[in-house]
Amino acid sequence: MSWVKEGELSFWERFCANIIKAGPMPKHIAFIMDGNRRYAKKCQVERQEGHSQGFNKLAETLRWCLNLGILEVTVYAFSIENFKRSKSEVDGLMDLAREKFSRLMEEHDVSESLLDKCLYTNHSPHPDILIRTSGEVRLSDFLLWQTSHSCLVFQPVLWPEYTFWNLCEAILQFQMNHSMLQKARDVYAEERKRQQLERDQAAVTEQLLQEGLPASGDPQLRRTRLHKLSARREERVQGFLQALELKRADWLAHLGTAST
Amino acid sequence: MTGLYELVWRVLHALLCLHRTLTSWLRVRFGTWNWIWRRCCRAASAAVLAPLGFTLRKPPAVGRNRRHHRHPRAGPAPAAAHRRLRWRADGRSLEKLPVHMGLVITEEEQEPSFSDIASLVVWCMAVGISYISVYDHQVLNCQSSVKVLSPEDGKADIVRAAQDFCQLVAQQQKKSTDLDVDMLDSLLSSNGFPDPDLVLKFGPVDSTLGFLPWHIRLTEIISLPSHLNISYEDFFSALRQYAACEQRLGK
Repeated sequence: MSWVKEGELSFWERFCANIIKAGPMPKHIAFIMDGNRRYAKKCQVERQEGHSQGFNKLAETLRWCLNLGILEVTVYAFSIENFKRSKSEVDGLMDLAREKFSRLMEEHDVSESLLDKCLYTNHSPHPDILIRTSGEVRLSDFLLWQTSHSCLVFQPVLWPEYTFWNLCEAILQFQMNHSMLQKARDVYAEERKRQQLERDQAAVTEQLLQEGLPASGDPQLRRTRLHKLSARREERVQGFLQALELKRADWLAHLGTAST
Repeated sequence: MTGLYELVWRVLHALLCLHRTLTSWLRVRFGTWNWIWRRCCRAASAAVLAPLGFTLRKPPAVGRNRRHHRHPRAGPAPAAAHRRLRWRADGRSLEKLPVHMGLVITEEEQEPSFSDIASLVVWCMAVGISYISVYDHQVLNCQSSVKVLSPEDGKADIVRAAQDFCQLVAQQQKKSTDLDVDMLDSLLSSNGFPDPDLVLKFGPVDSTLGFLPWHIRLTEIISLPSHLNISYEDFFSALRQYAACEQRLGK
């Protein structure tokens, strides 16, 4: 990527970077790059110039992230906001419905982790931090699902004026929140697992009763049945995800040829 | 050399944690004094950090009218009627009021203070906010008569709606292409409820912790340090901040 700015950090920047890196570091940062238009107004230049500066700032910020060892960045180019929710966000769910109809999956195979894998961000981990500049304190429909347990950082600085120190400040905030967020995520995941187990247990009980066997009989039998239930579900889900992956690859290839 | 950086980091974090703990402790103990203390702290921090290029987030404009402070709760009846009228007038004085307000409690050290939460709900009602949702990320199954939300109402509800839709398609009551934003909205258990316009987030955690991810796409998120001993002034200053914000929506 030749447009990512060349350059290393200054002495003080390197010094602070080394201090910050002593703590937990985010692996994936999401930015809502807001403030280009207000910057242009403030500096009394054309709006286009504001966006151009915004783009330069993006190139610079990516360089800083690289210097800090942050290898994954997702950005929201905030020039036009679709007031209605974009249809593409529900496309993943549409695929689900279609496949269910062709009996690749049972409807109870639909779970939170499956929905995660159906979204177009499925190859990325959830962002650790979501940074929004220009002082606005809302999400504007950006990665709502993926940032439910991310550290939200709202900074008043306008995007074209973003500095390395602003980035450090955001990461410091992440570090302050790190253990609390980790705990909240763990509690949430535990509860999801517990509920899934409960549902599976109920399904096994029903299965046994239908076969005329005692519901609370042989624990070994229950364990085997439980294992079989989840293994079969895993198979169905994998089959579905593979089909989805192929379909996506096809669609992307089609996009590529359509534009030539 | 790495050891040195780690030491500096630890010291820095210890100071930041100390500052946060001290502020929240003082806040709980010393209402007005704390307001003065916080102003001093902010001034001091700004003086120290500004040369380094750090900028502090603007806090919500803390109510300046501190004369009507803590004690009103045990007041006599005429004073109570006066307060209610005042709250209603306050609500009308704002350019805009949220239709649906979310209260997100992220503090987990102690039990949430139900009396403070109740005060907040009452103030919301008094000021004229029609829908109020209270969210506690640790409450996993709610059985109360007041509408309290939990993570069940977030992603889990979206999953259930997806399952229901799959069922409908399997039963040929719907086609898969029928799924759009409005359809999903109608399948969620929040159907009929407007999206929250404003979320007041209490506590030190900078996250929504799973609060209604689908519904908060345009929600303003205003953070307050704690819901413990929250004052009406702090509550109303957040509403003023909401009223002043401009939702440009890409124009």
